Amino acid sequence: MEKTQLLNKDKLSIDAAPHLSSKRSSSWIMQQVLIALLLPTAAAVYFFGWRVLLMVAVGILSCVGFEYLFQKWKKQKTTIKDYSAAVTGMLLALSLPVTAPLWSLIVGSAFAILIVKQLPGGIGRNVFNPAVAARVMLKVFFSPWITNWITPVPDAVSTATPLEYISDFTPYVPAEVPSLMDLFLGIGLGGNVGETSKLAIILALIYLAVRKIINIKIPILFVATVAIVTSIYGNFQFDYMMTHVLSGTLIFAATFMATDYSSGPLTPDGKTIFAIGCGVLTAAIRILFNFPGGVGIAILIMNACVPMIDKHLAPRIYGHRKRPVRQRSA
Amino acid sequence: MFLLKGKREGAQTEERKHRTEHRPIEEASVPSTLIYPLSMHIGAPATPLVEEGDKVKIGTLIAEKAGFVSANIYSSVSGEVIEISDMNTTNGKGPCIAIKNDFQDEWDEPLFNEGEELDRERKLKIIEKAGIVGMGGATFPTSVKLSPPPEKKIDTLIINGAECEPYSTADHRLMVEYAKELIEGVRVLLEIVSATNVYIAVESNGHESVEALKKAIGDSDYIQVKELPTIYPQGSEKNLIKNLTGREVPPGGLPADVHVMLMNVATTYAVYEAVRLGKPLTKRITTVSGEPIKDPKNLWVRIGTPIEELIKECDGFQSAPGKMIHGGPMMGKPITSGRVPVTKGTSVITFLEPEEVTTDERTACIRCSECLNVCPVSLQPILISNAYENGDIDQAEQLGAMDCIDCGNCSYICPSKIPILDNIRSAKIEIRSRKEKK
Repeated sequence: MEKTQLLNKDKLSIDAAPHLSSKRSSSWIMQQVLIALLLPTAAAVYFFGWRVLLMVAVGILSCVGFEYLFQKWKKQKTTIKDYSAAVTGMLLALSLPVTAPLWSLIVGSAFAILIVKQLPGGIGRNVFNPAVAARVMLKVFFSPWITNWITPVPDAVSTATPLEYISDFTPYVPAEVPSLMDLFLGIGLGGNVGETSKLAIILALIYLAVRKIINIKIPILFVATVAIVTSIYGNFQFDYMMTHVLSGTLIFAATFMATDYSSGPLTPDGKTIFAIGCGVLTAAIRILFNFPGGVGIAILIMNACVPMIDKHLAPRIYGHRKRPVRQRSA
Repeated sequence: MFLLKGKREGAQTEERKHRTEHRPIEEASVPSTLIYPLSMHIGAPATPLVEEGDKVKIGTLIAEKAGFVSANIYSSVSGEVIEISDMNTTNGKGPCIAIKNDFQDEWDEPLFNEGEELDRERKLKIIEKAGIVGMGGATFPTSVKLSPPPEKKIDTLIINGAECEPYSTADHRLMVEYAKELIEGVRVLLEIVSATNVYIAVESNGHESVEALKKAIGDSDYIQVKELPTIYPQGSEKNLIKNLTGREVPPGGLPADVHVMLMNVATTYAVYEAVRLGKPLTKRITTVSGEPIKDPKNLWVRIGTPIEELIKECDGFQSAPGKMIHGGPMMGKPITSGRVPVTKGTSVITFLEPEEVTTDERTACIRCSECLNVCPVSLQPILISNAYENGDIDQAEQLGAMDCIDCGNCSYICPSKIPILDNIRSAKIEIRSRKEKK
């Protein structure tokens, strides 16, 4: 018996199967998003200077702080250790121009965390993406302060974003628009700090896809749909299409915002429709209205459609002919 | 297009097979006392035919099948019946026969006389008589499976060697070391069910077995070895059928409904021994593995051997185990007593370290949709789990709770550590009990 003596009945767990669990935890997943966001952050510091870091710090601290205070007040367990509030803070900071006053970040964070995220019940229950909603809210109500685009230091002159040239029913690329390569690399562009260097964002996208944090079909379908719609509208001019693809917040939002778990669909077909819907709406808003902030609004509209999309696009269960139908939403 | 597919239909769990996959099967030493549960198969418990004090030999029928879905039980040693009473088994306490080994290893009469001509009916009878059940763990009586209703004509026979549970290498070693006998077993099955397509399904991590099988098959071109991706649960009935034939078993149905029959490799080997050699089912291959085990092995084990004897056979533990599992770590059953015996369905005994079994604290669902991505039958596991927790059993049923195959991928993958499978199982139990009330 001596060889089996280590078998101690009282020390054996009797929890039901499965007896193994994956090492991925929710906080690990959010950490990966934060790591990926360091790439566009680094690019932003390079193009816009050190103030970017101050913005990111204020964004993270205020989002985490608001979540902590709200949960203390409500006597709930605090969830700041899952890093999701930090992700929201970082995303919000990166979606504002370098001239945005710090108080606008704090106001945006309060709105994102308190109203958009915690009011419906916290992580996993929010209908809208907190960072996107806060950004759109700031754009609508505080536009003089946060749409004062400047080109990167040291010139620091006010400028229009490339999008302002090509929206407004202009199915061609005016001469003032920067070259496609500059748009891709983020050289000489005004705009929100995190979205200028498409190169940095695409590297982050690859990181997240390799780590299996995001479903890469969402950003690909989103951007491809914008490309297709703008090609058709622009009479298949390659430059016009590419200017749309590389301008504004499209690639940044497609990577970090449309892929958000809480506000996105659960079902595989739902994700396809969601991404295509985001793309169609973005292109439509850009073309039909003289309104460059279309991406955020497109995502919010699709966020609102998620329960309906998921309900009708539940996967067909093995052996069944039709998709399952839910009577009530879960 | 793989980018757009985005659906893996299974999880890449760690295989954890490296410690035993290249270890040849060893004969486990036979203990002095063996225990035979009367219920080590699906269906009615067998009826004892012996009394305390009776002398038995290897292959002596000690308990007889009781009804259509039931199975005979044979002594796996020669010796004396010492006790018939309730004892601990892998399924809790139940009636068992205990036999004291006299170490003479004398054999009883074979299942049929040497030189006897065997027709199809007689072969089926021998398989029934031999007490063979599904040895992959399902333990459904094989003779019943081999007699589908005539309107469900079988055209495809799948020999299941896709051993997808981590740690498990018993089927793999059988295919490597007994490929010839296995193929002979397939031929026996084909004499009973006339299938035109015959596949031996192996996971792509088993190159060694693929080569051995191909060599054993030789020129015969109707038996095909199919290498399938190593994705858990590749070896599940529903998934194998879909991946090999493109057919889907209807809800609540059986493989025979889509003209397919599945047979585990160990079962096929037992069929060979019964019909070609006249030997009833008295032994099987069991893998004993996991980090706490000092010298993990694949063992030929006499059915009825207490599990603690196998631990000794593997040189005991190198660290204290935190969990002992009858079966693999994805679908196996936790057990706490080393006195329980190996049964016809014991393909692996897994030991896990205490750190591996501590469950992290549950957090809120973040809607990552991983449970949908890994569900092999395309359920939305978290929604069924939520419905159950909200007390909405109707919704759990509408969402397909009854289609769940219990593979455990959803709970495995969940980053919020939600006990999704536990909830789905509870929902299934409630749905069933409601149906019975009606």
